[in-house]
Amino acid sequence: MSTSAVEAAKAAATAVPAAATPALRITSLSAYYGELRAVHDVSLELERGDVLAIIGANGAGKSTLLRSLVGLVNHGARSHTRGSIEFDGKRLDKLSPDQIVDAGVALVPEGRRLFARMSVEDNLLAGAYLPRCRPTIPRKLEEIYALFPRLRERKAQIVSQMSGGEQQMVAIGRALMSSPKLIAFDELSLGLSPAMIDEIYQNLGAIIAGGAIGILVEQDLKRALAACTRFCVMLEGSIVLEGRPQEVSEDAISAAYFGSDAHGGFEARG
Amino acid sequence: MSNDDLYWTAIDLANGILSGAMLGGYYALISVGLALTFGVMRLINLAHGDWIIVAAYLCATAASASGVPPFWTLIIVVPVMYAIGYGVQRGLLNHVSVQAAERRGMSPVYGLMLPLLVTFGLSIVLSQGLLLIFSADTASIKNDLSYSAIALSADLSISTLRLGFFAAAAVLLAGLSLWLKTTHIGRAIRAASDDPETAALMGMRTPHIYSVASGVALASAGIAGFMVGMSRSFQPFDGPSFLLMAFGVVVLGGLGSLMGTLVGGIVLGIVQVLAGTYFGPAAEQVAGYLVILMVLALRPQGLLAK
Repeated sequence: MSTSAVEAAKAAATAVPAAATPALRITSLSAYYGELRAVHDVSLELERGDVLAIIGANGAGKSTLLRSLVGLVNHGARSHTRGSIEFDGKRLDKLSPDQIVDAGVALVPEGRRLFARMSVEDNLLAGAYLPRCRPTIPRKLEEIYALFPRLRERKAQIVSQMSGGEQQMVAIGRALMSSPKLIAFDELSLGLSPAMIDEIYQNLGAIIAGGAIGILVEQDLKRALAACTRFCVMLEGSIVLEGRPQEVSEDAISAAYFGSDAHGGFEARG
Repeated sequence: MSNDDLYWTAIDLANGILSGAMLGGYYALISVGLALTFGVMRLINLAHGDWIIVAAYLCATAASASGVPPFWTLIIVVPVMYAIGYGVQRGLLNHVSVQAAERRGMSPVYGLMLPLLVTFGLSIVLSQGLLLIFSADTASIKNDLSYSAIALSADLSISTLRLGFFAAAAVLLAGLSLWLKTTHIGRAIRAASDDPETAALMGMRTPHIYSVASGVALASAGIAGFMVGMSRSFQPFDGPSFLLMAFGVVVLGGLGSLMGTLVGGIVLGIVQVLAGTYFGPAAEQVAGYLVILMVLALRPQGLLAK
């Protein structure tokens, strides 16, 4: 390599601040459960402030993609990923789930997965387990109670006695306790009443606050498209369409969602 | 019935209840470790009783080697037991869990059986190891304190040692309850026992967290071992009887409730002593297990569990 090339590279490095590179870069990611490939060669780039909606039918690989992101696929029984996931310059695919949380990535899991025998506040505090989260606990609790006032009223209640919507608020609050720079929601509206879904979506802007990245896995096409800045449609483990919601017609999205005839009647596990 | 008869009936009853309750503290201390591993983590540790005997031998060895009163050996024995508990969980039991079985493609049923088999094996290794080192002769660390009593009235007294154990059990169980309830690591133990995968999503390193819990369980077994050594003589093969007793107490009090362990111990103690007083020594064990069966039939969640 010539001296000038090295200098040019150096100049490029100083000219382009780190923030200009995408905050999240997924490159050729595949995820396997045993022999089965649930996510197939997915590449994605997101910048700070982006809200990505991942749309797709059951078994399209959406949840597996999220689980790959937070390390559960690599950490899990007989499952693994290929390809790379970079976030803020860190290779997430090389980290364990607890290190990924420490790097600022939080997941609101499908079905909420609250600690059923604990109170609302204990669930929230469990989200602030990492040493880096502990100094901000009072401020974070205050933020979450301001966002969902009914959680403050019920902070001593055991979560298994609450409604699905209230439990979803606890699950969101628990993820926010770690001050994530990327927050992913798996099936945010599944099983909730329309009024509750409205309430949660109204707060989505505040939840994904201040330059954080949001990733939304959702079956409800309309709501997802209204809430996102970018979207991608997954089918059989691959991304078949991506873009910004205003750029693509809803018909095109629907067509991608259900797949072409060649794919009809064939589903991969997700 | 004369006044005198009435007096002695009352004294018998008071003595029975009092010494039964004090015996309850002893039972509770024996059960603390199991209440934590079985009650909270849902890990059945069949070597629990053997660890108590190991600790008793450690106390005896440390006391005779250093010449200090047995109580002061706890300064060494408790941290050593914690370290052993942490190490055994980290190096052995974490690898035979339900998740570990899944990772190896085994059915979760094996995951439930493996810890049983491994801790059963550990129980045999420990008792045989003790036999090898200390022989089958009985050992003890009893001293003057073991025989002293505090007189409450002319005819009513309690054993100083039992009173001490009762206080120790109450303080230890209350402290551990508070620790589980209010500290980050305590919350993490409850979370990781409930749902390990989601606990990992909170940034919790579950192998470390289980190991801390097991370390604390064995540290309390260390205290129980000291207590056993102070109250009676012991042999390498005494472990399983303590295990059985602890199971009864934990089930009686309610899984997951540490204060229930104290209540379970007290109930068991009082029932046994009263049965012994009125129906003779042979009735003690039978009455104890009858009460456990009755609670299981009428209130299977235990006395204090929600």
